[in-house]
Amino acid sequence: MSALGETLRDSSVINLTAAVTMVVDDSNFALDLTTQALLGFGIRTRYRCQSAAGAMEILQDNPVDLLVVDCEMPDMNGYELVRWLRGSRLGPNAFVPVVMTAAHVRRSRLSQARDCGASFVISKPFSAATLLERIVWVARDNRPFLEVGDYFGPDRRFRETEPPGEERRASMIRRAEFEAEKSETKPRERQA
Amino acid sequence: MTVITHARRKSNLAKMIDSAGGISVGVALERARANIEAKRAEALAVVDGQISALEHMAAPTSLQDTAARLDEAYRAANAVIDAAAPFDLIDLCRAAMGLCDLIDAARPGQAFDWRIVTVHARSMRLLQSLPVEADEARAQVLDSLRLVADRKLAAPSQP
Repeated sequence: MSALGETLRDSSVINLTAAVTMVVDDSNFALDLTTQALLGFGIRTRYRCQSAAGAMEILQDNPVDLLVVDCEMPDMNGYELVRWLRGSRLGPNAFVPVVMTAAHVRRSRLSQARDCGASFVISKPFSAATLLERIVWVARDNRPFLEVGDYFGPDRRFRETEPPGEERRASMIRRAEFEAEKSETKPRERQA
Repeated sequence: MTVITHARRKSNLAKMIDSAGGISVGVALERARANIEAKRAEALAVVDGQISALEHMAAPTSLQDTAARLDEAYRAANAVIDAAAPFDLIDLCRAAMGLCDLIDAARPGQAFDWRIVTVHARSMRLLQSLPVEADEARAQVLDSLRLVADRKLAAPSQP
């Protein structure tokens, strides 16, 4: 396993420097922390918004490549913002990868979290590695978008794509190790 | 129910992530961690301010006032998690999450035992002041909060 403790290898190269990114969080400090983490990844945040209303205004006229949204905000919350975006049919923005961050998810909002159309919801506390891993995952996410009743967003069943947290190469290595271990233990089992 | 499938077009993010240039994951994380670390003092001040806000938050005086006060306390606890989480202040996050759980479980239109907020605020203050190596004392504080949560969440109604 890599030093990241999760699935990305230190030596993998990513290029997100040109990504037009929007971060939405009602807390100015949380907004700072997220934009600083993104800056480390080479992503300069183009739009910083402290309210869903401010974000909507920008999203109507400006295409973005990545949206990072806090779930819990006063007035219009993050789930409502993402649901509006998906349903807005605003060209490419309706299909943009969305990572949501949550300090705490209210029970009454679990269905909103599931049905708003976000690509991924990350619960705090999370590490910089987890944030990067999820961004890389949503970038490579090729699930089709589904319209089912009033849901519009990525297919919520992780059928054809690897579940998040699993890097293909890492799982192949683990599988090879497992197979090797199995073939080593079999003769011993037979001897016993 | 009708299901309409929209074939996914490759996103801009997908196109650019493997394009020439960029940085290695190792460097990206090192830079991100350094950028976040530079905010530590500010984060501790935010945590301190939010705990102080919880400590001084007046109990609601009427049922009508309860929802607004609980929202205020919930937001403060959320802010503690926001600021403490990137700096591995896990115990503080746990205590704040416990408070969020209890506020979330409050029944609309019913009184809320405000001592829950006070106890959590004091516990967070204690966790903040305990030395890093005081694992046992930290565990005790969190265990006590867990007991409060278990008792309150199991009770049919508050207080």
